[in-house]
Amino acid sequence: MHISKVTIQGFKCFRRRFELLLNDGLNIIVGNNEAGKSTILEAIHLTLSGLYNGRYLRNELSEYLFNKVIIENFKTDSTVPPEIVIELYFEGDGLAIFEGDFNSERAKNCGIQLKIALDERDRDLYNDYISDNDENVSLPIEYYELTWTTFAREVITAKNLPFKAALIDSSSNRYQNGSDIYLSHIIRNYLDTNQINGLLQAHRRLQKTFSKEKVVEEVNKLIEERTKQTDGDKVIKVDVDLSSKNAWEYNMLACVEDVPFQHIGKGYQAILKTKLALEHQKATEANIIMIEEPENHLSHSKLNQLLNDINEKCEKAKKQIIISTHNSFVANKLGLDKLILLNNKKTIRLNDLSEETIKFFRTISGYDTLRLILCNSAILCEGDSDELIVQKCYFKKHKKLPIQSGIEVISVGLSFKRYIEIALKLDKKIAVVTDNDKKSEILIEKYKTYNDDKDCPIKVFFDTDDNYSTLEPQLVKHNRWNLINQIVDAKYKKDGANYKKGEYKCNNEDELLIYMENHKTDCAIKFFDTEIEFEFPAYIEEAINYVEE
Amino acid sequence: MSKNKLIIATAGAGKTTFLIREALRIKDGNILIMTYTEANEAEIKKKLFNESPDHKIPNNITIQTWFTFLLKHGVKPYQGAYNNYLFDKEIKGLSFSEGKSGLRYFNARGFPVYWGEEENFRKFYFSSDFKIYSDKLSKFVIACNENTKGEIIDRLSRIYSYILIDEMQDLAGYDLEIIKLLFKSNIQTLLVGDPRQVIYLTHHESKHTPYRDGRMKEFINDKCPRLCDIDEETLKYSHRNNKEICDFSSKLYPNLPLSEPCKCDECRREKSEHEGVYLINRCQIKDYLVTFNPTILKPKNSVAPEWNFGKSKGLTFKRVLIFPTGTIIQYLKDGRLTKRIKGKEEKAFDIAKFYVAITRPQFSAAIVCDYDKSEKFIDGIKKWQSS
Repeated sequence: MHISKVTIQGFKCFRRRFELLLNDGLNIIVGNNEAGKSTILEAIHLTLSGLYNGRYLRNELSEYLFNKVIIENFKTDSTVPPEIVIELYFEGDGLAIFEGDFNSERAKNCGIQLKIALDERDRDLYNDYISDNDENVSLPIEYYELTWTTFAREVITAKNLPFKAALIDSSSNRYQNGSDIYLSHIIRNYLDTNQINGLLQAHRRLQKTFSKEKVVEEVNKLIEERTKQTDGDKVIKVDVDLSSKNAWEYNMLACVEDVPFQHIGKGYQAILKTKLALEHQKATEANIIMIEEPENHLSHSKLNQLLNDINEKCEKAKKQIIISTHNSFVANKLGLDKLILLNNKKTIRLNDLSEETIKFFRTISGYDTLRLILCNSAILCEGDSDELIVQKCYFKKHKKLPIQSGIEVISVGLSFKRYIEIALKLDKKIAVVTDNDKKSEILIEKYKTYNDDKDCPIKVFFDTDDNYSTLEPQLVKHNRWNLINQIVDAKYKKDGANYKKGEYKCNNEDELLIYMENHKTDCAIKFFDTEIEFEFPAYIEEAINYVEE
Repeated sequence: MSKNKLIIATAGAGKTTFLIREALRIKDGNILIMTYTEANEAEIKKKLFNESPDHKIPNNITIQTWFTFLLKHGVKPYQGAYNNYLFDKEIKGLSFSEGKSGLRYFNARGFPVYWGEEENFRKFYFSSDFKIYSDKLSKFVIACNENTKGEIIDRLSRIYSYILIDEMQDLAGYDLEIIKLLFKSNIQTLLVGDPRQVIYLTHHESKHTPYRDGRMKEFINDKCPRLCDIDEETLKYSHRNNKEICDFSSKLYPNLPLSEPCKCDECRREKSEHEGVYLINRCQIKDYLVTFNPTILKPKNSVAPEWNFGKSKGLTFKRVLIFPTGTIIQYLKDGRLTKRIKGKEEKAFDIAKFYVAITRPQFSAAIVCDYDKSEKFIDGIKKWQSS
């Protein structure tokens, strides 16, 4: 049993109907800030629980839930009252009760719909309101209602949904009266009816003992004396709040080793909530766990541990987990095949990457895959020194760094192949800058498929002169050797074949090249920082031109 | 042996209890129990609660009225399949119609003219406040099921493995088409009812007119042979009524087998001095109420704790006091079940409702009727004298 599809329309940043397909098991949503990742998680959680920011949305409708553009347009044209529609499509056995044609596809589907729309019974009042206010009307939210139905047009209560949602985020705006409503919901999902009723009764007993405490009795007597002036006056006293069925949720605090939950570290809170949610085991219910940016507030090792937990539980307990992240480590670790890239309200998946590539990034999770995924275009190069030279070359041309234009320069070592596989799926413009290593003939043959194919977004750039096999000789080739010598400002000491730091300068091109080979990073930093003008190898300039096109 | 079964029961044979025990035996799937009235729905819930081992209604059992069922599982899931207009209209519930619904106007000769489905489906099916007419509900469901190529029944068969229907005699018209579809689906269907107790004739459609008035058995024999077994033995003894009441009530349906009182010790443990069918004068009412504390049954306009004849269906009382209609009194005098109206032989009174009323008590039924000492009544009625 799982959610196979989500549609969102009119809600927050989603103006037009947005559709997102979800896998059973893990889903990782990546996207830039403001892409709508959190909104998706909120929308799913809202539609499964009726809760928004820890409160029942039914009683908290506001204009701010609606898409801004829709509201702006409404101010000039109020003929059609705007609506919010969020739908969850289900897949699995035993869900026939949710089947019907009441969905945005108007066809047989299984699922539920949450709709915020004009209450048709208030249509007259709405019309009056609109005709009374010609210009710049705000949305008359008081005539709106929230309806929550199955695709069979049956009204839902959170109780009769076989899906239990847990939203785990570490931002602090989810707290109410000091207790974390989301935490209590996770706990509630974990308990059976008898246990919940037991808690409720224990809470009530607590009230009885409270009011029988001597000091409470005295206080109440005092209040009574002060307030009861005549016989007709009613008695006022202090007591424990039992006014709602869920009172225990608000009055009870989860404590970690005697420290109230909200006072423990944010990171540990997230770990605990995730663990609790992952443990939820009810055979008849499916559990949907949504985790917002788990990397926040967590150290690298804690994060690693948490991700291991998630991976393991997800396999074993057949849970559906939806994670939003900015962090490559999270994405790599959980599997790039689970990635859903959110860009411009469109989604791209990395579903059919090769096993090896997924395994590669999962094992060596440090690679910055998300930089590649989230950028406009990228230049891939072998090492740190190449990266710096490319950055400098771009800076020389534009007086700004490439990242400021959404162009990533990523040092990928020898794993070009893995990155290219991802880039191909994304149809993203990528320039690969590489050394010819004295084998330019072989390279030409090797990269023919990319370079000769006009429609291929990936191009590989290198120099075909085998006499200048790597970056350093290339720099020397394009400039006078003593200009380069001036830039790298070599201070070395000969010790057999090695050059150690010292006070001697290079006396000729050969000495300079040997020095540069042995001090790649030092030299690259010098090139990057220098005020001296120098020429760049042509293939680097070509690569930059290509990604800018 | 078919997976489906119809059991013909007599009044007081314990058909509801039988149905509930059947339901409680099933452990392997979801069960839907249906009946016609809300009173009976409540009765089923109560009995189920009492019969189940831990006094809980099991999770796999749902109890609904036939109309709620049709609306919830027949109309709403695919109402858009009827037509596009209905897709996002909210149907506000049921409009119960006594007579034929969808009145258009009265013509010059004072006869009613009704909307047709073709000319105005909106007014044909729905009241002005957008409630669906109860008498056309099943017709609508059949239309949607056809338009979705059987999706409604298919969906249902994936929700419920068993459907148990109490008071099956009240089903008629397109209801019978739905029953036929249930027979043909994977669902195991059990129908229980008493053909004598047809109270709610809410169908004025011309569909299946020969099978009105509780003739489910004939419908199955003619229209769905081999799809459903018919059992007339299991529930033929009344556990409620004594012999005098059985005999008296049997006279109302001379063409059906006689009702017989169950003779087991369990049923006959309680005895009473005052048993059978009595007549009392209006002036004796007060005296009678004090002496026997009977439950009052009226043809209509009853005020709790009194009951209308129809609503009392399925209930058991120790004693009842019946306020009859004029036509019932006429029958008590002349014993005629039919009379000629405009050359046609019609029912002389609402036989089914009177049958229901007279079969409620375990011990005695008293009928209010002012009479002279010399007046003659049909056999089986005693004139009551206060002691």
